[in-house]
Amino acid sequence: MGESQPSVPAPADNFEGKLALGAQSIKVLVVEDDLPNRFILQAILQKQGYEVIHAENGQEAVDLFQRDRPDLVLMDIKMPVMDGYEATKRIKAMSGDVFVPVIFLTATSEKDGLVKCVESGGDDFLTKPYNPVLLQARIDALMRIRDLYSTVHRQRDELAQHQKRLDRERMLAKRLFTNIVNNGSLDRPNIKYMLSPMSLFSGDILLAAPKPSGGLHAMLGDFTGHGLAAATGALPVSSIFYGMTAKGYSIGEIVAEINIKLRTILPIDMFLAACVVDMDHVTHKLSVWNGGIPVAVIYGAREKEIVRRIHSRHLPLGIVDDDTFNRRVDVFDMREGDRLYICSDGLTEAQNPHGEMFGIGRLEALFETNREPESLFEEIRASLADFQAGRKQQDDVTLLEIAYEQAVLEDTVGWTEAAQGHNVVPPATWSLNLQLGADIIRHLDPLPVILQSMADLQGFRGQRQYLHTVFSELYTNALDHGVLALSSHRKKTAEGFAEYYREREVRLANLKQGFVNFRISHAPHAAGGELVIRLEDSGPGFDFNSSPPTLDENRGNSGRGIQLLRSMCERITYFGAGNIVEVVYRWR
Amino acid sequence: MPVTSVVSSDGKIRTIKIGGRFDFAVQTEFRECYCHTRPEDNVKFIVDLSGANYMDSSALGMLLMMREYLGGNAANITLTNSSQDIKSILTVANFQTLFSMA
Repeated sequence: MGESQPSVPAPADNFEGKLALGAQSIKVLVVEDDLPNRFILQAILQKQGYEVIHAENGQEAVDLFQRDRPDLVLMDIKMPVMDGYEATKRIKAMSGDVFVPVIFLTATSEKDGLVKCVESGGDDFLTKPYNPVLLQARIDALMRIRDLYSTVHRQRDELAQHQKRLDRERMLAKRLFTNIVNNGSLDRPNIKYMLSPMSLFSGDILLAAPKPSGGLHAMLGDFTGHGLAAATGALPVSSIFYGMTAKGYSIGEIVAEINIKLRTILPIDMFLAACVVDMDHVTHKLSVWNGGIPVAVIYGAREKEIVRRIHSRHLPLGIVDDDTFNRRVDVFDMREGDRLYICSDGLTEAQNPHGEMFGIGRLEALFETNREPESLFEEIRASLADFQAGRKQQDDVTLLEIAYEQAVLEDTVGWTEAAQGHNVVPPATWSLNLQLGADIIRHLDPLPVILQSMADLQGFRGQRQYLHTVFSELYTNALDHGVLALSSHRKKTAEGFAEYYREREVRLANLKQGFVNFRISHAPHAAGGELVIRLEDSGPGFDFNSSPPTLDENRGNSGRGIQLLRSMCERITYFGAGNIVEVVYRWR
Repeated sequence: MPVTSVVSSDGKIRTIKIGGRFDFAVQTEFRECYCHTRPEDNVKFIVDLSGANYMDSSALGMLLMMREYLGGNAANITLTNSSQDIKSILTVANFQTLFSMA
């Protein structure tokens, strides 16, 4: 595409300057078969500093135009071979995007002739006798228009390039985002979800991961601040979520960590509304931290209606400092078959072709009319699809359903392994000692640290769930009944349970003295290894020589307790005053 | 003008009134209303939402930016006259912990 741009910088501010610049390099094609007329024009133009080429008829004009690409054409009308109208049409066609003004040279101001000039694509007229000042003024005006055209086209092309690049980057970001964030972790028998393509782009995330000893953590997040916030924050958030869940951290600790991270990397006006849950199959409870998610409910399997609404009690993540951050969770009971539903406002704000919103009313009505909890998710999906039928734009709809199913929640071995990846280290000899005083016991749960160290040392693929349980039991006993001297009999009733934990919190907060010491050693054994775990606590101990029932009452907690340890370990032995316990755990 | 601002005669109270949609489109105008005030001037700000028929999360972000600009915890900002819809957006986000509501 031969664009004959004058090689001058952007139009000068003053008129004279523009004239001077323009005149220097503008090439004018004069198409006139009458010699005297042509000479006059040539003289005028050359005097004004324009470069002049000439043609004697329309055909020559077209050929010359093709070859020399003039900036402007002065076109006579009546010429042999090809007239001015035809030549102009062809020249205009050839110049394409570039604006090459054509000024018709007319001897008459007859209406018909003028109309035909315009129809052929002509931009202006000049009648004899040719006035040099008028000619110059007209040429300048047309050149300014020409510059405008070329600027617009250039910007249009630049914009198109930018847009193409943006689209490419968006596609890439979406692909990366999906790979990193989803991770196949939502692929569980008790989990159903909707995550429309727009959701990912607009910054909704959905994460789920098994806890080391069963149960799961899940999170629905909604980034604000357009795609940029999501692009920046999604990776760290998912990394923290998966990493800390795998290490056995609680959701309170996880949201606190995410809050710090987002506070650091995102500007103040960007944040993450999130609902993070812990579904525990042992305590039959759902713990929730909800900061900014409007819809989170528990649907009762028996009642066939919403039994609990989980309100947003916190500011979204990434707004306040760690010292102001509130990590308190709400706890709810769950029974077999009960379902947790969380959705982003994309669902309630989804529009139909008339611009109406789906709304919370419609959603609640679906919960109300449902008779078969198993199909509720499908009913919601179908209703939404019907509502949106015909609408061109995609909405960012994100919906999560997690059913409380004991068997599925317990069985996390396969899930855990997939989440942890491969980590095979041949059984080796090593030991790990850890002495924890009151100060550290008061503010830190040491289990994630211990379990992670062990995993780093030995891998323990396939064992982590069990090891977590063993350590959990041992440490809870040592801390609760040893150091904090709590008695477990209260835990037998629901209110007693709550009382127990309240008392525990108080004693823990006021703890000034005490310790729990770990001595862990590992050696190869048969086809695997043998782990000897010894805990000593500063508590009074108990009479471990008396019969098993006393054992369970004082040292076990209501539920699994010692029985569980017995089933998982080779042996359990007590020493000293009963404040030292040693278990042997074998694995293959 | 969807966003207007008036100041009391003693210059101590500035009221910003939002009309129509409170979203990213009014970002610059909204910022103009407070960015000439310094935190140490101790000006009380009132954001009157009675005329607002829509608010999204970018508006929440703008409010946070305003609060930070005016000194964070030291800022004195009251949100007033929100409609039911807008009030529920603010409540779900628990913004009453950061802003006075009236």
